[in-house]
Amino acid sequence: MLTPAEKIAFLCLAAVTLGLATRNAFLILRAIGRGQGQPNWPVIKRTLPRRLARLAVQVGLTRPVWRQRPLVALLHYLLFAAFSFYVLVNLSDLAEGYLAGYQTLHRGGIVAAFNVVADTLSVLGIGAMAALLVRRFVIRDRRFAFRSNVLLYPRVKAGGIQRDSLIVGGFILLHVGSRWLGQACQLAASGAPDVSEPLASLLARALQPVSPALLEVGVHVTWWMALGLILLFLPYFVRSKHIHIFFGPVNWLLYPDDRATRVGLRESEAKSGNSTGRGATRLEDLGWRQVLDAYACIMCNRCQDVCPAYAAGTPLSPSALEINKRYWLNDHLVEFAAGKTSSEGLLDFALSKEAVWACTTCGACVEVCPVGNAPMLDIVAVRQALIEAGSELDPGLQKALESFAKHGNSFGQSARARIRWTTGLPFKIKDARKEPVDYLWFVGDYAAFDPRSQQVTRLVAQLLNAAGIDFGILYDGERNSGNDVRRVGEEGLFELLAEQNLEQLAKAEFREGIITTDPHSMHALRYEYATRGQSFRVRHYTQVLADLLRTGRLSAGHALAYRATYHDPCYLGRYNRVFDAPRQICALLGVDLVEMPRNRASSFCCGAGGGQVWQASRLGGERPSEARIREALATLGSNGPSQRGVPLFLVACPKDYAMYTDAVKTSGNEGKIVVRDIGELVAEAVGLGIEEASLGRRAR
Amino acid sequence: MDVLVVLRQVPDLVEDLELNAAGTDLERDSLKYVLNEFDDWALEQALLLKEKNGALVTVLAPDLPEADTSLYTALAKGADRAAKVSGDFVLTRSSHALADILAPAIRVLPHDVVLTGVQSAEDLDGQLAVLLGSYLGYPAVSVVTDVAVDGSSLIVRKEFAGGLCAEYEVALPCVLGIQAAVRTPRYAPVSRVRAVSKEKKIEVLSAGGIRESDLRIVAFRKPEGGRRADMITGDPDSVAQQIVAILRQRGLLKRSSE
Amino acid sequence: MAGVMVLAEHLNGVLADLSFELAGKGRAMADALAEPLDVAVLGAPTLASEFGVADRVIAVTNTTLEVYSPTAYRAALAQLIREYQPRLVLVGNTSIGMDLAAAVSAELSLPLVSYCTGLRIDDGQIVATAQLYGGKVLVDALPATDHCIVAVLAGSFPADAGRRPGQPSIERRELAGVTSGGIRFRRLIQPEAGDVDITRQDILVSVGRGIQSQENLEGVEELARALGGELCASRPIVDNGWLPKSRQVGKSGLTVRPRLYLAVGVSGAPEHLEGMRGAECIIAVNSDPSAPIFEVADYGVVADLFEIVPALTDRLKQ
Repeated sequence: MLTPAEKIAFLCLAAVTLGLATRNAFLILRAIGRGQGQPNWPVIKRTLPRRLARLAVQVGLTRPVWRQRPLVALLHYLLFAAFSFYVLVNLSDLAEGYLAGYQTLHRGGIVAAFNVVADTLSVLGIGAMAALLVRRFVIRDRRFAFRSNVLLYPRVKAGGIQRDSLIVGGFILLHVGSRWLGQACQLAASGAPDVSEPLASLLARALQPVSPALLEVGVHVTWWMALGLILLFLPYFVRSKHIHIFFGPVNWLLYPDDRATRVGLRESEAKSGNSTGRGATRLEDLGWRQVLDAYACIMCNRCQDVCPAYAAGTPLSPSALEINKRYWLNDHLVEFAAGKTSSEGLLDFALSKEAVWACTTCGACVEVCPVGNAPMLDIVAVRQALIEAGSELDPGLQKALESFAKHGNSFGQSARARIRWTTGLPFKIKDARKEPVDYLWFVGDYAAFDPRSQQVTRLVAQLLNAAGIDFGILYDGERNSGNDVRRVGEEGLFELLAEQNLEQLAKAEFREGIITTDPHSMHALRYEYATRGQSFRVRHYTQVLADLLRTGRLSAGHALAYRATYHDPCYLGRYNRVFDAPRQICALLGVDLVEMPRNRASSFCCGAGGGQVWQASRLGGERPSEARIREALATLGSNGPSQRGVPLFLVACPKDYAMYTDAVKTSGNEGKIVVRDIGELVAEAVGLGIEEASLGRRAR
Repeated sequence: MDVLVVLRQVPDLVEDLELNAAGTDLERDSLKYVLNEFDDWALEQALLLKEKNGALVTVLAPDLPEADTSLYTALAKGADRAAKVSGDFVLTRSSHALADILAPAIRVLPHDVVLTGVQSAEDLDGQLAVLLGSYLGYPAVSVVTDVAVDGSSLIVRKEFAGGLCAEYEVALPCVLGIQAAVRTPRYAPVSRVRAVSKEKKIEVLSAGGIRESDLRIVAFRKPEGGRRADMITGDPDSVAQQIVAILRQRGLLKRSSE
Repeated sequence: MAGVMVLAEHLNGVLADLSFELAGKGRAMADALAEPLDVAVLGAPTLASEFGVADRVIAVTNTTLEVYSPTAYRAALAQLIREYQPRLVLVGNTSIGMDLAAAVSAELSLPLVSYCTGLRIDDGQIVATAQLYGGKVLVDALPATDHCIVAVLAGSFPADAGRRPGQPSIERRELAGVTSGGIRFRRLIQPEAGDVDITRQDILVSVGRGIQSQENLEGVEELARALGGELCASRPIVDNGWLPKSRQVGKSGLTVRPRLYLAVGVSGAPEHLEGMRGAECIIAVNSDPSAPIFEVADYGVVADLFEIVPALTDRLKQ
């Protein structure tokens, strides 16, 4: 029970600090509001019950945190549990301070249970916090560090994160510690332990020698340390990284329901104009969600851990991007919230131009982020602005874009050359524009033009034919789907390609939907053409092949005794959540499939996406594709050929086929592992390989 | 300063070029046209002059297929004005005839210097830049890799074989055949090209009579052999011997024979 | 008046190889027509004695022509043609020839065939073969009048044929009226001492992944030297840092159109083919018979490059 003076003092302090915190909160909300677009309220309202249920699970279990770093996730969970429970504890303590006769100690029933939990969580929380502080400041986990080539906002460089972490960590220790100590003081003063607070009771025993007067002082001081501290720090907390406890859940609550759209680009925001045109030059040009991301970010660097561009030594760190945004906002919050044009552009403080062009848009950062951030989308927005402004492009990239505009493919080849891969097929593929078919096969650029993939494409055609699938293609009418063009930021070119494809698709009649070879095309056709009033049922060829094998329309002649691992393509797995079909095929064919540590949604990008495949290599470190081959070899055991032959590295994306065939050579692993497409595997099992050989491809 | 850039459409070499039945021309119906790549460099040089010296850039094209696309792209990149000379000269391969058609159009458009690509894939009877100089009565320099303004004249860098260059001071007006510029031709975002094609107009000038060519075409033909490797077999030394024979036959041993 | 006139090309006091190629072919054409061969040397009378192959060398002494000037050379050539009325004028389709041929053709209404790689006499008439459309098409053209000018691509004819000794008459001319008009020569700029520009090389030896290690480059470099060419590479070699970026051929590198492209250990990824498809003659050595490089090569060798490269180097050195 507080003295009247204390009660008044506490109320005064509350008035001041809550006022300041509220002001800060409003500034932040206004800052977020400066982002382009706004939440789709009608949809959010309609789906609110489902969203809240999902949120409860996400947050209640801190589910997204567990995807990586299990030990840290456990410590975090303890802290989370302690902190959540402390909402009740603090309210109860407040009541104790103000209400005469209200106290929790030495009572039974539900209150005792409350005490048990509070007591246990206090100690666990303190322990967890201490452990996390030790990790950061004593062990100095290098995952908190940024490579020196990453652009950092001055305040970040000067150790802002460490300072804030120390303050937040110190607060938690003091706050929880004081409360727990206060309980011990009360217990010591009461002269009797309370079984409902066994740990505090232990401490109380140690406090026995202290005089009752001093214990009474202790009770008051610890009360103030526990609750007064909250007030004191509230205005700061709102601006600190600790606010992730609020904006993280908000982010999850407002996120689109659909996983694919979460990773995908959002039409409304990509297109929402600012005065200078498309894309983002300044922070306020980004979507509102991107500004919110800066506040949700807890600066854990999980995204940096999984980023293939960072791993390859480029100056791109997705976490540095969010952190820079946040510290810049902290410094400029008042002006920014007031609607003033930012004094600096994103390239001045958030990320370097080189970093902008290093992103593979693999979506790993989005997938891993525990608070639902999407730094990748910022990067695409900045690219859009750079393209729009006529910024000098990587020559290879520029050539590719010009080739897309001229020929509809990046290979600098005639649109008519698109069907050259069909040469030598023992049957003629239907032109879906001329006769109705069940399935339209959207072959895609790499599958059609890259000689390494052409043979696979022929095999897939023969498999579909052998299974009696009624399918056709668009012949020279097909253009690149524009998926990667869009990720490069050339939105206008994407639109052009989409229009050209839609025009051709409109001419075609396909009853069952579209089959794609390239997961990138799959994504564009499935999600990004949809907003143009068209929606297609799009399936990946591995899904079709899996079905055909399952239903017996294709039958494997004999089991394949290969030992293999499978690489999930980013745009098939993370973007389109197709994980099982290729694995089912392997199982049906009897392949001994061993999973790499990074599989399914955590798959590691080959390094080709987002336009990287056209750009001159700018990597300092190990190329992502080579790192991946190393991972595969470690998984399969690098003993080379066994009685089951050379192990296989299975892919289901034509770009992967090219990237990994290269990587096996450049990493000097020829003969130790062989890159094979799932389609080749099925063809072999079905007994189609011989026909392909008899086509006499290339060998003369 | 006023810079005029001549942009010329040429057959896209990426496509398979078919010959007509008589073997006297390409099969023009199936041809795809693109901007002559050197003209793109000429445009870049003009835009660099504009950025540095505040030039007004006019682009002019003979109305060959897809010329509008090239003109709009040039506008999107920063050209100020676009015009085309219309007339039925798709079948004219003669650079003399083109120069003859373009010269009167150039005279009515603002220009202190005329830039165009140093060469194209189909100037059988000479390169356009120099011919324009002759038809306009201006001095002309070809194989230019850099241009700077110096008072009322230009400082022009011309390149010879082996990377040797010479610098000339060229009086205005003049014509330059551009081989390269200090930066690669810039990229024009598709959205801007599309916006420009809605906002801006291409002026149309009509061509006079078409000059008769003073060359008679005997035949258009594909080089023999085509592009399918003849395989050389044998032990290493015999392979080496055969390669040397091929090189000798093709006159590729000249340096070692010096 | 008749005859064949060859314009000798020289820069910095050095005659270009091309001059002898033209002189040699000019000789053959003159003989076939039973007419005399003149070689015109502008501004460098001391070089006149090099052309033993000619019947007459016209050495123009006007000092304005000592350095190359497009306007002055044009005026001089036009004046010579007007005076001597040759039936066939041969110039190079070079930086200099491009300035002159078209201008003289326009000024004198002289039919012009550019990009010439072949010349013959058919029924007493001169037929020139031009290489157009990136080498994809050859055009045989016939001048509609008795006189014509032909701009010849370097390397089309053997230079040795133009180096024959002989005793031509030397006619010195002043051509006093020739001036450099609106174009004033300022200075020569030597190529930067940096790396070679592979886009300007006639002969390139390209290495790909098949080379396996940086140490193995040495042997290929020796081969390039023996051929009088330069080394270039596909992307992986440059990515590995074995050769500088300035040597990279292909999509993210440079586009080259040499007369000879000898590819060793290059599999021929499309990104690479894009940058060298235009080469005049492509010879590929690769151990994989299905390597796509053989799709674009004129000649292919399926063999271990470590055997072929030294064997070829030895042959060339002989």
